[in-house]
This record gives sequence, structure tokens and C-alpha cells, in this order.
Amino acid sequence: MLELDAVTVRFGGLTALSDISFHIKKGEILGLVGPNGAGKTTLFNSISGLVKARGRITFNGTDVTGLPLHKRARAGIGRTFQIPQPMHHLSVRENLAVAQVFGAGRHDENRIDEILAVMELSHKADADAANALALQELKRLEIAKALATEPKLLLLDEVLAGLESNAKRSFMMKLKELHKLFGLTIVIVEHDIETISGLCTRAVVLNFGQLIADGSPTEVFNNPAVVESYTGTAHA
Amino acid sequence: MSVTSPATSAPVASSRFQGRGALLGAGLVILALLPLLTGASPYMLGLLISALILSGLALSWALLGNLGGMVSFGHAAFFGVGSYASALLAAKLGVPVLLAIPLGGVVATLSSIAMLPALRLSGPYFALAILAYAQIFRILATELDWLTGGAAGLQRYPGLPTLFGIDLADRAGSYVVVLACVVLFAVVYVLLRKSHVGTALRAIAESEDATRVVGVNATLLKSWMLFLSAFIAGVFGALNAHIIGFLEPDYAFSGVWSVMPIIAAVFGGYRSVLGPIFGAVVIYLFDQVIAKSLIPVGHQILLGIVLAIMVLLAPNGLAGLVRRFFTKGQFNKTSEKSHAGA
Ligand SMILES: Nc1ncnc2c1ncn2[C@@H]1O[C@H](COP(=O)(O)OP(=O)(O)O)[C@@H](O)[C@H]1O
Ligand SMILES: [Mg+2]
Repeated sequence: MLELDAVTVRFGGLTALSDISFHIKKGEILGLVGPNGAGKTTLFNSISGLVKARGRITFNGTDVTGLPLHKRARAGIGRTFQIPQPMHHLSVRENLAVAQVFGAGRHDENRIDEILAVMELSHKADADAANALALQELKRLEIAKALATEPKLLLLDEVLAGLESNAKRSFMMKLKELHKLFGLTIVIVEHDIETISGLCTRAVVLNFGQLIADGSPTEVFNNPAVVESYTGTAHA
Repeated sequence: MSVTSPATSAPVASSRFQGRGALLGAGLVILALLPLLTGASPYMLGLLISALILSGLALSWALLGNLGGMVSFGHAAFFGVGSYASALLAAKLGVPVLLAIPLGGVVATLSSIAMLPALRLSGPYFALAILAYAQIFRILATELDWLTGGAAGLQRYPGLPTLFGIDLADRAGSYVVVLACVVLFAVVYVLLRKSHVGTALRAIAESEDATRVVGVNATLLKSWMLFLSAFIAGVFGALNAHIIGFLEPDYAFSGVWSVMPIIAAVFGGYRSVLGPIFGAVVIYLFDQVIAKSLIPVGHQILLGIVLAIMVLLAPNGLAGLVRRFFTKGQFNKTSEKSHAGA
């Protein structure tokens, strides 16, 4: 479904991603792992079109490397931001309506209600503005917005961060439910090994902008290079 | 639900405020009655016409700021292009004035195409680019003297015609024409803001990446708003040209047409539709009637002071004050949903 071929991103002298190649199969839940600054968010940015990348990105058979952000969204690439970026002055419902009308090309209030219910935001739907939400609500709004665009591929950037372990476990169930309910392919950035093992069938590890491992969670987390990249960082 | 409006400086937008339509209607009725309320002297009518021209310009400026987040320091360009285009079309090609005026708006829109590259610039850079751009047109109007009459200006071109037996060129007639245009564009603005396109544009103003990533072509929507804003400014420039009957580059492209709409819109409350309209009326009348009599030379300084006081005391301007007055003590939801105002 998504194919990365030698994707490289440089910021001035810094190579944030170097020669990244792998592909994601339809229906997969892929964990994207790596220490802070490894390039995970940058990878999402290059897939969704927020930063320009060299190399080639193919989505469902079409080359999207040169496509602007909004066209990739319409093609079915949905994403969340690590630091939530709601449409601040719009209500939660308006956030979803804009995402649906422009991202999915149709307006369907029932569908919006459905998404609000799944993401447990119904009670906040028409309250003031999105910027009045609490952080965890904003994170759920990030996902809800992305779902409203009716994506085929959903990129989740540390949506579980900051949750205590019970909440984390129930949110994992939620993600599995979304995966099934909306027929999604998911890439999720997450530091917690247990979460990745419980949620993903496969994990890809980045370190200093390079892909250092790709395989089942068990394989990957037993890989010496991965262990080494994590020791000395706070997330191991 | 809390009782009072939260006093945030970032107003909350909502498209479902029931009373908004009524407020808008009431505001427009007040505008229609203003000439009578102020005694209908020709002098006062003349001032009110100029005030409403400024209302239209302020509306056009605020629309660009609210729907797309573009701050313009150069609306004089669109105003001036509209005025020259309409006057020249009527004078040289014999185009009927009532057709030349919207065509003036069209030419102003065309002139804004040159601004499109600046849309990619962020806030302050866009503002500076459009400021520089406005100067280019003043120079063009001066240098192309075979067409524009150069620095000496343009005088012999038709004024507003007589329509259905009503002389639009007399002051009462002109007032009605200008008011009708203000109402027309206010309604267009309200409808646009309520639409999905308008909702997306409100979001672009604060969170451009967040809107693009859900499929909004922000650049395209912003260019439409630039075109619409330029059109509106051009139409009011054209109206003004045909009402006052002379044009010269230093007047038509004066920085006043860039600065006054900003002062008027901010004073009135630029996030609302009625704010810029009434802000312009109050600011213009204050400047011409009160400030001028107090300080004949340099009276504009008082505008600066008044604006500073307003911004400090009521960041949402006149519109915010009016809303606060009407929603005070009301135990209902509308009070906190009314920030975007009518
Ligand atoms: N827009 C940018 N400009 C310059 N450097 C950036 C930018 N975005 C990310 N970086 C740098 O790229 C590297 C990778 O960052 P990021 O992708 O955010 O890492 P991660 O998400 O894995 O923590 C970091 O060194 C970061 O400082
Ligand atoms: Mg990151």
C-alpha cells in the first residue's frame, strides 16, 4: 500500500532521514520505533507531504512524492501530530466537518457523530473551541479529524504518550477497534515495547535517520543494534 | 455551561448563533436611518457617504484577515485601481457607470493576481509585500499620464446616473447606492463565513498546516479570498471615484486607504461583520467632526489614541462591547458562543 524508496530528508547540514526504504502492506499495524530525534516524525512529515523528501514515495500504486499536502490527504493518507494541531477556533464538530468535506469530499453528519462517539468526544462536540480541550482530548481529536477524512493509511504520532498503563491498555483496544471498524492500515510511533508488541504485527526501527531493523516486534527488540540504540536513552 | 463569556483574547467561532441574523438586520436598519438621525444636512450626508465607503473598505480588509488570516497593509492598491479603472472605462470607452463600477472591482481583482506569490509568505512578510505592491500602482498611475492624466489627475468622467427617476448623483441617492453595496457585501461575507469553505478559511487563519493535512487546499482558498477582497475594495474605490468626481494618484492610492480600514476594523472588532462597518462610521465621524475641530493639523493622532484605548479596554472592539452588553446576565449558551459575532 505504501512504498518508500530511498527517502532522504536533510535540514541544512542535518540528515534527518537517510535512504529509508521499506513498504507497508494493506491492513498492517506497523510500529515505528526509535529514540528521540531518530527521524520518526520527519518520516511522517515526508509521507504526508509536510516536508520535501528526496527519493520516492508510492501510495496505492501512484507516485505521491511531488503531491502537495492536501492532495495526499484526499488520496487517503491521514495523520496525527505529536503535538496536537487542532483547528483552534473551530468547535470539535466543525473540525471534523472541515476534515470530512475537504478530505473525503462529502458531508455526512451521521458519520461525524459516529466518529465522535468512537473517540469519546460527543460531549465536547459543540462546546466552545477546540483549543479549550484538555491534552488527551486534543489527542483524540487528532485521531477523529484524521478519521473524518476517511483515510486508508493512518499515521499516528505518539498518540499514547502520557497515558498511565491502564488508560494505555484501553486505548490500545480502541486502536484495534478502529483498525477493524474503518478497515485501516496503521503506522504508529510509540516508545513502549509492550504496547508495540501488543498492537503491532511488525516494527521498524530508526536511529539517527537510518533504518536499523525491520521485523516482528520480538525479533526487533532482541536485535543487538536496537538494544544498543536504546541504552543510554530514556525510553528503553 | 458557564454564565459569562470567557474573556479570552482569542474569540471562539461558531456558526450557530441564532441572534446573529437579527443583530445584523438591526445594524443595517440603523445604517439606513443614520442620515435621518443625524439631521440629513447635506454636509452630514456627505460625511456619511465617505464613512460608508470606508465601511466597505474595512469590510474587505477584515474579510481577508478573518477568512484566511492575511493581514494587508496595501488595500489602497485595490481601492485606487478600482477607482481609476471605473473612471477610465466610463470616460474613455463610454461604459455605463453602473457597469463600470463592478468592472472596476474586476480590474482590482486582476491586479491582485500579481499578489499571488506573496500568499506563500507568512504573516508579516505578506503584509510587507502587499505594502510595497501598493506603491507600484501609485507610480504607474502617475507615470502612465497618457491614460490617467498623470499627477494632474482625472476630472472629466461621468458621475452616478439617474435610475428609475432617482438621481443617484445627489447625496441621498449616493448614500443609498453605497449603503446597498455595503449590505450586499456584508450578506455575501456572512453566507461565505457560514459555509464549509468559510469554516476552513477561519481555520487557516490560525492553523494552516492542520487544515492542509485534512485535505484543504489552503493556497487556493486564500487566493479566492484575496480576489474577493480586492474586488470589494475596487468596487468601493470606483463608487468613491464617481461620487467625488476627480482622481489623482496621490489621492486614489493614498496610504489613508490602507491605514484607515485597519483602524476602523480593529476599532469595530475585525472578527465580526458589523464591527468593521460601524467601526468605520464611528472612526470617520470622530475624525472629521471631533478630532479635526480639536486639532486641525495632525488630527489623525487622536485616532491612534482612541484605537489604543479601545484595544486595551476591549480587544474585540465595538462589536465585542455590544455583545457583552446584550449577553450580560443571560443564563444561556449563546453568550459563550457569540464570540464570532454578527
Ligand atoms: N523542520 C525541521 N528543521 C530542522 N530540523 C528538524 C526539523 N524537523 C526535525 N528536525 C530534526 O530532525 C531530527 C529528527 O527529528 P524528528 O523527526 O522530530 O525525530 P523523532 O520524531 O524521531 O523524535 C532531529 O534532529 C530534529 O531536530
Ligand atoms: Mg517525534
